[in-house]
Amino acid sequence: MAQLKINGKSYFVDSAADTPLLWVLREDLKLTGTKFGCGGGYCGCCTVHINGEAMRSCRIRVGDVENAIITTIEGLDPASNHPVQEAWLDLQVPQCGYCQSGQIMQAAALLAENNNPNDEEIEISMRGNLCRCMTYKRIKSAVKKAGKNMRERSV
Amino acid sequence: MDKMKTNRRSFLISSAAGISTLVFAQTAVAQGKKAVDLLNPSSPLVLPPNFAPSVWFTMESNGRTTVHIFRNEMGQHVGTAFAQIVAEELGLNWSEVTIDYPQMDNKTMSTYGLQMTGGSYSVFEEFGKLSRVAAAARDIILEQGADLLGAEIADCLVENSMVKDTLMGESITFSEILSETVIDYEVSEEDLKNVKLKKRSEYKILGKSLPALDIPEKINGSARFAIDAHVPNMVYAKIIAPPRRMGAKVKGFDDTEAKKVPGYLQTIPFNLPDEAIFGGFITHVPLVIAKSFPSAMRAAQSVKVDWDLENTSDLSSKDIEEEARNLLSDSRNAEVYWKVGDYNSCKDKNECEEVEFEYKTSMVSHVSMEPMSALANFIDGTLHIYAGHQLGTTLPSTIANYTGLKPENIIYHPHLIGGSFGKKIEYELTILASLAALATKKPVKVIFTREDDMAFAHPRTPTVQKLRALVTSKDCIGINHDVACATMQIAPFFPAFTHPPIVDGKPLKDSKIKHEAYVMLGSNNWYDIENQTANHFRQLSVEKTIPVRAVRSVGNNYTVFALETFIDEIANQIGEDPLALRLSKLKGKGVNAGASFGKSPSASFGGGKRLANVLRIASGMANYGSNALEEGTSLGISIAGAETRYNPSFLACIAKVHVDKKSAAIKVKKLTCVVDVGIAINPDGIKSQVEGSLLWGLSNALMEKMTLNQGAVVERNFDTYKWQNITSIPELEIHIVENGIYPSGVGEPATCVVAPAIGNAIFNATGVRLRSLPFSREELFEGLEKQA
Repeated sequence: MAQLKINGKSYFVDSAADTPLLWVLREDLKLTGTKFGCGGGYCGCCTVHINGEAMRSCRIRVGDVENAIITTIEGLDPASNHPVQEAWLDLQVPQCGYCQSGQIMQAAALLAENNNPNDEEIEISMRGNLCRCMTYKRIKSAVKKAGKNMRERSV
Repeated sequence: MDKMKTNRRSFLISSAAGISTLVFAQTAVAQGKKAVDLLNPSSPLVLPPNFAPSVWFTMESNGRTTVHIFRNEMGQHVGTAFAQIVAEELGLNWSEVTIDYPQMDNKTMSTYGLQMTGGSYSVFEEFGKLSRVAAAARDIILEQGADLLGAEIADCLVENSMVKDTLMGESITFSEILSETVIDYEVSEEDLKNVKLKKRSEYKILGKSLPALDIPEKINGSARFAIDAHVPNMVYAKIIAPPRRMGAKVKGFDDTEAKKVPGYLQTIPFNLPDEAIFGGFITHVPLVIAKSFPSAMRAAQSVKVDWDLENTSDLSSKDIEEEARNLLSDSRNAEVYWKVGDYNSCKDKNECEEVEFEYKTSMVSHVSMEPMSALANFIDGTLHIYAGHQLGTTLPSTIANYTGLKPENIIYHPHLIGGSFGKKIEYELTILASLAALATKKPVKVIFTREDDMAFAHPRTPTVQKLRALVTSKDCIGINHDVACATMQIAPFFPAFTHPPIVDGKPLKDSKIKHEAYVMLGSNNWYDIENQTANHFRQLSVEKTIPVRAVRSVGNNYTVFALETFIDEIANQIGEDPLALRLSKLKGKGVNAGASFGKSPSASFGGGKRLANVLRIASGMANYGSNALEEGTSLGISIAGAETRYNPSFLACIAKVHVDKKSAAIKVKKLTCVVDVGIAINPDGIKSQVEGSLLWGLSNALMEKMTLNQGAVVERNFDTYKWQNITSIPELEIHIVENGIYPSGVGEPATCVVAPAIGNAIFNATGVRLRSLPFSREELFEGLEKQA
């Protein structure tokens, strides 16, 4: 039994403590926006925020995140209107879309720390988020655009 | 078109060939049902009849039109493209257009046609049909609207979901027309042929970069992929991968330890008849079933399987490469695929020199981000399949073959595909899930872990290719292109995807040779070189070891790499500039003239001349020939008419590459790509496909290599199978050209021109020629050392 705080709500799940958070999200809680890609932390499809930090939910044991604040793509913004989501829509980033939850969560965590990242900082933060449709060019532009919008709004 | 006298429900199915492709279903009007009069507030609130002028879309009297997409959405935004085609001819207000992805049953194929999502064929195949059906519906609504307005048809036009009387300035919306009238027409095939289509210059919705309709749900986690499918009480299944890719049988298993895993239910060994596993369409595996997927994964680790490895192939990649060379050395193994003129007799007649080089390419895997998965639920006598499949219409009959169910009792519910590139054309998981659901009497969802997905890879075939050319002092008069590689073993299942050798542009009569249409793709090039032969040397040993299949752009990837590298080598041999040599051979002569105008679909109209055009534009954009490049930096050219000669996007790519001569580090700085797509349905959507394709090509060129060791795939996850991430992305400059005649496919083709352009640039920068994919820095380093 574990108590989890996800997207501002409390959940009680009876998964074993060593169950990967990813599968608890997907199977027990039906939060299927977080995706399974490799199970090894190589691809970033399963990225969620743990206390604001982007982490790979396939490599996190559910027993280790009790009392942590967990945010998934479903809870990033109540109206799907986070600056990163806006930029993703504006620049038409997704193709198949499968990796994009992870990309968006990774980018949102990056921009929360640094809303004016240069190319290198974007690459360092995003290089573990693979996209087989190879939408990387647009991802990079969208991260910049989201950062710009965040800076303008915070003035 | 005749307005029907009686108010009866009627269907008129017009079909040109065996499979019906033109379906014009009449509006489903209930007899005597009162239409709502929107202008009369006291009119009873009765749901007015929808107008379903064709099976391809439904117009509702509330104004909304839903276009039914019978292809799978896998990142190419095919639904948006189809909706744009319909909305254009129908004169719709775009904000009132939606799409859906209907379920498919046993009748779907006979009603809608094969509906394969692949070969970059969707837009190419549907454009003409959707345009005509939508235009016919427009004419009907126009007539009705004019009638209601009391106007002459000739004075009316359709625009923005309205019929406008240009004389009196009055208008009526489609919503009002559909609410106030009952439309009943019969449209013949002849009517469809004669319907007036808009000209390219009249387009308002086609040709616009409208936002894709499937993107909003892909940014907030609400999009539903196959792996997200869920039904109550379902259980989960994981396979245990055999020690060989093909043919290993399950002799027995011991699940004593697995029984200690909470949630573990049972293990089912699937040993299928030998003929069932033909071509690697399905493999013998034990399926470990549990209440959750983590339990299934855990239990699978402790199930001990006793495998029968007799009659399995234990070849490794190195063996396959050596064998390919042996095959190529004996011309009796050659199966002619494409022949123009006569390479051999030309050699005897002319004073020329023969140039020969060998090229090779490794296996490349799809590795789409969504691993394969399928959910099967047998309920009330019907088997429901929840999956994402590129050949959805064929699922009911295929699954019926394996389960013994009747095809009419099988329904496929399409889901979004989380990346396919050819992978989700495989039937394996839908069949395993179906068999397991029937055996356990529970809904079963089978999920491949990444390791399973790669152990069961269907990669692109490895190739060894030998190219020979006949050159005089100034010219190339012949090319012979020999390719040793496997087929995809699809011929027995899809005889329609085979053809005899093509000689001088025509199928060879009475030939025993049947080529799978995609294996040698690209070797049938558009160069006006008078004597050409392309031969396939079928490598059966590969087919017995691993079922290689269609990976994005299929044969083009390896044939275009070899051919376009070879063209540069010929240019070098005769002292001609590679750009000038290509342009001199792209005059669109004879077999390279392309389809005649008006001969539908005429996507290849213009042929080789359009390749010359895109090449000229690309070389201009990339400043080809400029001397202002820094030391170690050069440009390289490549062209292709891909995906097929029938459905070609004409492409030119120029790579700007820097090589550090001390360390042999390769840096691709820029890829300039010009693509002539005939008609650009959604330019930004095309650009996005080409951006992705170019980076795919880059990844294939520099990184990707799947290998076999003793009959099994070595690379099982992304720690060992390396591919492109967001770092070291070159600048991409893409330009779309349209001849305005007919659209061709764009989802795949641009992948194939990248590697040869990079290789040619590396040669131009260093003088070292790399002839093997992926390019090896070590090989380049050695080449540079030799030069020094």
